[in-house]
Amino acid sequence: MNNLFVHKWTAQVKKGVLSFIVLNILQENEYYGYELIEEVKKNTDIEIAEGTLYPLLNRLKKEELVSSKWVEQESGIPRKYYSLSEKGKINLQEMKEYWVNMSSSIQKLL
Amino acid sequence: MKNIELTSTTAQRIYKDYLKRVEKCLTILSKVDRQEMLMEINSHIFEGMQRFSDNNETDNLLTVLEKLGTPKEFLKPVIADKKIAQAVRTFNPKDVLQALLLNFKNGIIYSVFALLYLLLFVFVFFIASKIIFPTKTGLFYLDDKFQAFGFIQNIDGMNDVLRFWFIPFVTLSAIIFYLLITLLLRFTKKK
Repeated sequence: MNNLFVHKWTAQVKKGVLSFIVLNILQENEYYGYELIEEVKKNTDIEIAEGTLYPLLNRLKKEELVSSKWVEQESGIPRKYYSLSEKGKINLQEMKEYWVNMSSSIQKLL
Repeated sequence: MKNIELTSTTAQRIYKDYLKRVEKCLTILSKVDRQEMLMEINSHIFEGMQRFSDNNETDNLLTVLEKLGTPKEFLKPVIADKKIAQAVRTFNPKDVLQALLLNFKNGIIYSVFALLYLLLFVFVFFIASKIIFPTKTGLFYLDDKFQAFGFIQNIDGMNDVLRFWFIPFVTLSAIIFYLLITLLLRFTKKK
């Protein structure tokens, strides 16, 4: 019973921080979808159904936090590259501050 | 869109079937949005396949698709989002209905809108009532005082001020009401 609760809770936490993680990864470099998923996996132990990242990117784009462009490839199958927009940078800064404050106050409780 | 070249016919069939499923999930989106998403999924599959060094094409494809997930599941949020945007842009009742159904689970606000849209049926009911019971449906006044709007059983001495204007009036009100709530829906999305 307890395990189920923890399981649900971790799922919620992961879902909640995924956009934060994506924005953090994009501040260094621009990435195309598949590469971005590899980065998420490399930097965190979050296991996601890879497909869920695309609706997330879509939402970030709609909120104008990221921008995207198609880049033609030799293979004939273009890649869609995502990068952090100016608005995204500002938002990410605020998110980071919030994150630091929250984690330090939670740390005190533990 | 350029398809991925696969040598095995089994792999081809799996690939085509998967893309078809993606496309089917996206049918309610506009052509541009649909194409964009399809291209991105296609690119994902292609890039995923490139990561393997062996030649087990079918196995590799299945691994990539398995990790990507079921289209119906992972595409749900993007469809719901875009449908709302489309609905408030086009004012098409079909879009509005689909958008509300898709977003119903997203919260109380959409339930409220669903109710508002449901209220539109009251107007339809009034029109039907006017056709079936012409004398008992209308805007009724008694000695310059408002009595009733709609269907009323006992109309003793009352005066129907709208008479044959009732149906045009109700139709117009329904249209205005529809435009108003759709604009309101647009406004809530923009905030």
